[in-house]
Amino acid sequence: MRFRTVVSNSNLFLRVVQSIDKLSKSAILKLTEDKLHIVVITDVDSGLQLWTDVLNDALFSEYRIDSAHGNEIYLEFSIDNLQRALKSAQGALHITLKLTKKQQLPVLSLIIKNQSSTGRELTLTQDVPVRVLTPLQMENIREPMVPDGHVHIMMPPMNSIRSVADRMKTMGDRVAVGANNCGEMRIRVANDLVDITTYFKGLENLNDDPTQSQALTGRRPNDSRSDTKRFFTAVVDMKNFIKFLQSYHVAPKNVICCIIENHALVFYVYIGSTGFGAGSGMINDNCGSLTYFIPIRQV
Amino acid sequence: MASLTSRVATAANVNEDDGPPALFKAKLNNVRPLVNMLRAVGFRTRVLCTISETGLVFTVDEAQAMVAQSFFRSSLFSSFFFDASAAAAEDDQPEYVSEEGDSNNEIVTQVTLPLDKLIECLTLFYGPGSGGSSGSAHGISTSTLLGAANDLRGATTAELEYKGPGSDFELMLEENGIISACRLATFEPEPAVNLEFSRYPVVQQLIMRSDWLRDAFNELDPTSDAVSISISATEPYFRIATIGDNGSTEMTYARDERIVDAYFCNEEMENRYKLSLVLRCRSALAMSDKSKVRVNQRGFLCLQFMIPTNTDVSFVNYIFAPLVSADDEPADLQT
Repeated sequence: MRFRTVVSNSNLFLRVVQSIDKLSKSAILKLTEDKLHIVVITDVDSGLQLWTDVLNDALFSEYRIDSAHGNEIYLEFSIDNLQRALKSAQGALHITLKLTKKQQLPVLSLIIKNQSSTGRELTLTQDVPVRVLTPLQMENIREPMVPDGHVHIMMPPMNSIRSVADRMKTMGDRVAVGANNCGEMRIRVANDLVDITTYFKGLENLNDDPTQSQALTGRRPNDSRSDTKRFFTAVVDMKNFIKFLQSYHVAPKNVICCIIENHALVFYVYIGSTGFGAGSGMINDNCGSLTYFIPIRQV
Repeated sequence: MASLTSRVATAANVNEDDGPPALFKAKLNNVRPLVNMLRAVGFRTRVLCTISETGLVFTVDEAQAMVAQSFFRSSLFSSFFFDASAAAAEDDQPEYVSEEGDSNNEIVTQVTLPLDKLIECLTLFYGPGSGGSSGSAHGISTSTLLGAANDLRGATTAELEYKGPGSDFELMLEENGIISACRLATFEPEPAVNLEFSRYPVVQQLIMRSDWLRDAFNELDPTSDAVSISISATEPYFRIATIGDNGSTEMTYARDERIVDAYFCNEEMENRYKLSLVLRCRSALAMSDKSKVRVNQRGFLCLQFMIPTNTDVSFVNYIFAPLVSADDEPADLQT
């Protein structure tokens, strides 16, 4: 198995890793011929899962991968280690990433070339220990199958949601997230003493499954269905909802919320080559996405 | 512009005319002054709320030895409605004690609310980490704590509504187009202990700047069980002292007009109070400009804090029963 590439956009790579930092200690990196995937599973049954993919072309150049299993390599790594390594690579002249062995143990080696003030070339190597997963182990990690969503809606500005959610998180261990096809979203938490519902209006609905990017560029206006005011709601663990809200420092402008009643909440964040969040005109700039799956709370 | 209640009703697909009419309904352009007045007595989880045409009174008590009351006048609301005739129709008009500690024959309705939850709801839009109930007042300057109460930018507006015994207490909050509907559980009103401060003549009084009293409280030894407060007609005119495991502290103050106004002392007295209860007033003290210290003939202490509210002031009273020690006063307290 062989993997070696030049990292051409270390800043984007770092920001992707930073956005998953708060979710878990470790994650799985799946390297393929055309995309880089990162999978974070906080709890197999009831926890939030994050599936990220980024086009290799947006991050790398001179990309070489070779393995016995369809040229795919699966590595488990510590998020903090990779994050620190990428941080030290920022602004470097040249960065190489390769899979190698140090002291008999597999590592992802980041070879960072910089120039000192005297013009001398400095090379810094950061090794991130990894565990290579077998294809069989990887088979067991599969993106959750979800039925078509009942409603797709753009989230309100993340700052407003975060401040309200921060207060609501002490009120209960489960939260009901609902939306309708009229641009309205509501979030509700309740306990013996207090019941709070917060309403957001004027949000944009999307009528098609956002995983099909063509559908987004050819967005139809909201058609007048008979029951557009009807709310679709998913009740999830407050803990998972808060984890999602806290999971990136840079608040992207556009996050899509998909509600599959009685099944899950799914949030999509698109990655453009310059930053996170795709505006309606920027889909063509789309080089990846972060997909958060939050299953409904099992009673 | 449709009222907040009807807009929420529309959003929730609910007919707002269902059910009995409101006993109490009021609107605030800015929740900050109310939040501050609640935080001033915010050290308990339950609060007795007394509603009358004059406004709202929030009462908490502890250990049958201390009562704190925060007064929020109806004129501080942008609109205020109280159905006194409906309230009078309820059984048992409670004995109601007013701002000055007098018994009052005003028609009221009373309800006990979860105070910490009430404050958390009102501060829903304050932003992460702005603190819930107590807002940790110790040592923070008045202006910071009041949080620019007069600043209406980015302010949360609120509508309060209560339909009477058995109903929830409802709050509708709005900021920047986001609406939150909160329902708080209500409880049978639990009367607070009545320490009858006004029943006996006031024998000692002084008014001082709160920052001075704040400094004095910061110096007290928190491990001490009791704090002694004495006002005298001769030097030292005002003295606060503690004796604890770590030694003793004592602050004495001259009758300096920069610090003390409206001083009188008709009877020399030194009284002791449980320190942990006295320190409960620190949030209110931190928010106030001036504090009035009064002691009545029975040695009960009343601290009244004057807190800036919008362009006016509001009051918070803390009344403490004196400690009656089985033993004689320790000699060292009498210097």
